[in-house]
Formats: sequence, C-alpha cells, structure tokens
Amino acid sequence: MVDTIYVEDEIIGTKKAQEIISKFRHAKVTSIKRFGEVFNPSNQNFRIQKTNPSLILAKKQKGFVLDAPKGFGIGDQNNYYFSHMYNCLYDCSYCFLQGMYNSANYLVFVNFHDYQNEIEKTIKRHKEKKMTFFTGYDCDSLAMEPITNFINDFIPFFSRYKKALFEIRTKSINNTVFRKHDPLTNCIVAYSLMPEALAQILDKKAPSVSARIKNIKYLANKGWRIGLRFDPLIYCNNWKDQYSELFANIFKEIKEENIHSVSFGSLRFPKSFFNKLLQYYPNSEELSFLRSNDKGIISYDQSIENEMNEYCRSELMKYSDARKFFSCG
Amino acid sequence: MIEKNFEGVSVRWVIALKGEAEEIIKNYGMKRVATTPFPVYKNKDFDMWLILSGIGQLNAVAATTYLHVKSDASYNTIWINFGIGGSRNFKVGELIQIDKITSSDFQDNYYPSPSAFKNNNIERCNLITVNKPEKIFENDGVYDMEGYGFFSFAKKIAPYELISVLKIISDIPGTDLSKIDKHRVEILVSKQIQFIEKVLENLLALQKILFLQLRDPKYFDEICLQNKFTFSQKVTLRKYLTQWQARFPLRNPLDEIRQKMTASQILKKFSDNLLR
Repeated sequence: MVDTIYVEDEIIGTKKAQEIISKFRHAKVTSIKRFGEVFNPSNQNFRIQKTNPSLILAKKQKGFVLDAPKGFGIGDQNNYYFSHMYNCLYDCSYCFLQGMYNSANYLVFVNFHDYQNEIEKTIKRHKEKKMTFFTGYDCDSLAMEPITNFINDFIPFFSRYKKALFEIRTKSINNTVFRKHDPLTNCIVAYSLMPEALAQILDKKAPSVSARIKNIKYLANKGWRIGLRFDPLIYCNNWKDQYSELFANIFKEIKEENIHSVSFGSLRFPKSFFNKLLQYYPNSEELSFLRSNDKGIISYDQSIENEMNEYCRSELMKYSDARKFFSCG
Repeated sequence: MIEKNFEGVSVRWVIALKGEAEEIIKNYGMKRVATTPFPVYKNKDFDMWLILSGIGQLNAVAATTYLHVKSDASYNTIWINFGIGGSRNFKVGELIQIDKITSSDFQDNYYPSPSAFKNNNIERCNLITVNKPEKIFENDGVYDMEGYGFFSFAKKIAPYELISVLKIISDIPGTDLSKIDKHRVEILVSKQIQFIEKVLENLLALQKILFLQLRDPKYFDEICLQNKFTFSQKVTLRKYLTQWQARFPLRNPLDEIRQKMTASQILKKFSDNLLR
C-alpha cells in the first residue's frame, strides 16, 4: 500500500512512529526536518499523488483542539474538532480535502498525548457546559485505525470524561476496535451516507452503503450510539426517490432508539477548492449543478438547497424524532 | 516508446557534460540547435530538448532557466537532470533515482515525488550536491554537483510529479577520478539506457494525466475568438463549459450563442441552462 514513509527527525524514535513504520516493512523511510517540506510545496498534483500516496509521520506543534464552525454541532453548547491526520484512505469525488491541501499524502501526527492533554484542559475549563469533540473531518480515523490505533487510544481516554461527547465520523466498516472495547455512552459513531447509486459513482474506494448500513446495525446491536450524517446531500435527476429509498433502507435495519442524532446539509465549497475539483473531475454531472453565490461559496441554487433540506427532513420524520435532527451548514 | 501523436508530450533534459548526454541524444534522435551560451539539442518530431549545462550548481540553474525560456516549455513539461555521481553505498554503473536532495550550502531540502518512481524497481537514494568533486564520501547517499541547483529552479516551473533526478554511479571510494573519461561514461550510460527509458515512460504517463486535467474545455477557444471576454469572464466561461460538457454531452454550446450576444449575455445563457 504505502511505499514511501517520510518521518520527522524529532519523532522518528518515538514508540508510536516505530509502531506505524513497522507495519510497512517494504516501505522506504526518508527522514525530514518538518512535514511542511513534503506536504506544503504548492506545485504538487493531488490527483497524481492520490494514485500512490506516501505516509508522513510528524509532530503536531500547536492547534490541537479547534473551535467547530459556528452553527455546527449535534446539540451541545460547545463544539470542537481535532485532527490527528490529514487526508483519507478513500477517494470521494466531492471531498473538500483535495481542494484544501496541495498533497494527497497521508499526514499522521503521532503525539496523541498532546491532543489528550489539550482536550483535558478544554473539558476542565468549561466544566459546567456540555461539549462535543468531533474527529474524522480531515481524514477517516476509523479507516486508518489498523495503522494509527487512534480510536483504540481515545476510547479509554474519553471514558474518563462522560460529559464530553466524542464523535467519530466515518465511512469505514472496520469494527475491530469497537469489539475490543465496551460501548461508551459518550461516543457517537457517525456514518456518512448517501444513496447507493450515487455512492458507487462518488465514494470511490469507500465501502458500499449497504455494507455501511450492515455495520451500523452490528454496532448498534452491540450498544454503540449511532449518528447518521447525510452530508453532503447530492442533487441529481431522481434525488427524491433515491433519498427516500436510502432512509427506508436504514430504518428497516436500525432501531430509532439506537440513533443519537441525524444531520444533513447540501454540497458546498469555497470557490478556490471548487475550481480545483472541476479540473480534477471535468465529467462529473454532480458538480455541474453548483453555482457561485455572492459570498464566494459554491453551492446549489438556494431553491434547490431549501427543497432538498425540507424534503429530507420530512422524509426522515417518518422514522425519527425531529429533535434529533441537526444542520451541517 | 514515446507516443508521438499525443500533443501533450514535452520533455527537457539538463545534463552537465557531453559524455553523459551522448547516449540520450542518440537514443532520442536529437540534433544540435544552438551552441552558445549552452549547447542545446532537439528532436525534430516531438517536443524534447536537451541542454549541456556544464559542471556545478550555478551552471545547472542557469542552463535550466535558459532552456525553459528558449524552448518555451509549458508548465506541464517533464524535467530530468541526469548525470554521473559518486557514492560509498552503490557499485559503479548502478542507476539511482533520487528521492531527497540536500546541499552542503543550503538549509532547505527537496523531495522529488515518489509518483515518478512507481513500479520501476530502480534503486532510490538521497543526493548530496557539493561544490567540488567528492573523494571521501563521508555520508550515505549519492554525491553530485548539479542536482540541488537544478531542482531548486525546476520546482518553480513544473509540477513535482514531472521532475526527476537520475544518477549513474561512476566513482566509489578509491576511484581514480582522472580515469573517468568521456568514453567510460558513455559505456556506463549505454548499459542503463533501457531503464532510463522506463523512468521516462512513467513520467510521460503522469504527464498525460496532468495534460488532460489542465486543458481547456471543448469550444473554449472558439467562443473566446468570437467575443471579447475579460480575464475573469474567461475563468467563468471555462467553468461553465466544463460543467456543460458533463451535463449536456450531446448539446453543442455554440448553438446557444446568437449573433450580437455580448460576453455577459453568453455567460448568463450558460448559467441559466446549467441551473437545474
């Protein structure tokens, strides 16, 4: 899989770095001073790198825990996100990462302990408030679990802070780590979902939607709390039928009581990201419906956005309590 | 083999000395087209050029810059620095592709993209560029006198994925440098020419991917010739035509344009059509 590993000199001797390196016996290991030497140069091509990504192991220096964008959340007052990794195993056509980064290489920050210290401080600073920590937005943490052991390290950590919710956003059907631990009441395994026909075109390298639903059922039966994330909602010719069928399929398999939250939001990008994406996928019909608005955001026409949000909300209300619904926009 | 009919082929070689370049010049049928300030060679059928830079980093930067301008190289051009080098880690005659470049003079390191190395089974190693011929080989790696200078400029004019530094080992600890003559170097290169071809083939495959990404959508030039578009209108037009091709592959966008339509009216027409 990975044939080149770049490792920062500062962390090459750490246990975590060595543990990860040992999983790629045939990879060429190259030492670097800072990850930016490899990750940041602007004249790199994301799509070409994506065909053969390298792994970069580095130490995160600052910005361990960040405020989630305003309006983003699943019911708590304070919302934060943290990223131990940039870039993803999967190759979804609409993914903002390919517009955001110059490099498709997997960048893993191995100093998990520093993240935990910062999260601990944040929890203690806002003792009285309910808060959620999101992960899996700059990568799919669960998909990379066999390499990083990130979730295996963070489940025991969050078990000490029951008031803080820990959301793992994923498309992965790897459930090994959830079999190893007892279900944690403050951990949400949040699945990104879209109609199967669209996923077959857009969610490249990711498990099929039916496999994701099967895995959700397995985890729910084990006692893990589930999040359903219809983000992004994708507009296409028969989107209403496709989404209705998707919702029906999910709730045929999963009991509503196992669902912690449901969120949805339509496709949108900053302008500069979108221009890169269009270059990468000139034949994508799904991207052809997007327009620039006066705030420099590329999104569907407002009427399409409203129609999609309202329709999906009303369809989902057939199966679930609307108090569990949240917007991703 | 080079796909001569593919319009995106564009290759530039930067090589210090004639002895190192001779086999490449012969293999790709290049003829001399200039003598000063640097000897330059070119293939007449497709866009491949070669420059003899002379020894040293300054010459390498100057020659790369000169060739970039003289040959009107596009962004999507393959740049290869090829030549001999010394090492304590390899045998004489081995071909090495460089994956990290350091200099005895500068702090920054460079990392050629591993995409260019994929599946060719050629040894990979770091390069240390120095200012005078190395005899001691204190560190692991390959020593040369041009690679760093070449890469420091090439990375500004081409994507990382299309830049490659290739070295053939000519000297190891104990080698008498006075015995490395033109003839001996030519023999070393001729033995590796098939592997050099393989590296180039891989780079050409990457170039093709990039070319398809960067080219303008169908009818873009035609529409721009018919009407006066500002720079930002051209950006929008490019976007709309790309979306148009994906959405209405059987509809010709030229049919939407009526005579006397202004650039703004044309863009509005496309935008309205693409809305739903």
